[in-house]
Amino acid sequence: MASSGGGDGEPEFQIAPLIDVLLVLLIFFMSIASSAVTRYDPGIQVPLAPDANKKESSEGELVFNIAWQSNDNLAVTTFEETPVDEPASVIPTLIVRKNANPGVRILIRADSETPVRYINEVIQAGAQAGIIDITFATVAR
Amino acid sequence: MKMPKQSVNADIGFQIAPMIDVVFVILVFFMALAGQIRIEQILQTKLPGVAVAGAPTEFFDEQILQVSEDGEVTLNDEIFDSPDSRNLPQLTNTLGQLQASSDAAKTKLVVTLISHPDSPYYRTIDVLNSLAVAGVTNVTFTAELEEF
Repeated sequence: MASSGGGDGEPEFQIAPLIDVLLVLLIFFMSIASSAVTRYDPGIQVPLAPDANKKESSEGELVFNIAWQSNDNLAVTTFEETPVDEPASVIPTLIVRKNANPGVRILIRADSETPVRYINEVIQAGAQAGIIDITFATVAR
Repeated sequence: MKMPKQSVNADIGFQIAPMIDVVFVILVFFMALAGQIRIEQILQTKLPGVAVAGAPTEFFDEQILQVSEDGEVTLNDEIFDSPDSRNLPQLTNTLGQLQASSDAAKTKLVVTLISHPDSPYYRTIDVLNSLAVAGVTNVTFTAELEEF
């Protein structure tokens, strides 16, 4: 009986597996790009902390971005992408968010060279709103 | 010269080559984008909160950490490490011992962190990183004699 394996035939280039692999790679890179870019401000150089924890979830996060402009000696604070003159001005909003979800926490993303007084203002606003969970964004390297 | 006659309605079918070209371009775009991504991590702290009237008073072991304007770190007025040291090994070791002794005594270790208002933020993060390594999560921040 003749074999149907075709052992003598020249193997051809298969396009279907190539497309499969390409699409899998495409979906992988698309997924990591979209999850990491969320509310990311590339203008802020957050400080190094090699032993910080990996962020498990962004649920209930109240994000304060503090950009330090060393040339003007000026810190620009934004709360959820809206500039605020003083963190104390958002205390009523923080209280509302705290009442709606007791598990909220404050995430501070600040330039590493920012004077601590601006960080303290944000922590103080959170404390006055009754929010005791404070987290600081860092990078490992 | 007589030109060959072309069929207008010729069905060229599905072309795989342009599709692969487009997929390659999109793939390269997202790969380049992935190289720019910085994965952020977090340092978690918990403020002591407000004492509830009528609840039993909880005693805790309080330690005072201070960061001066030039980055010098002191624990209970004792200087640890140099201002240039980012890892703060001496401080981390001491905090680890304090946390271990608090765990053994079944008391809560609370660290009050007093950073000079003009000290750079990264120095406070260095100290918080050291606290995270030592397993200390209860941190109070104090500034300009106002505790919160």
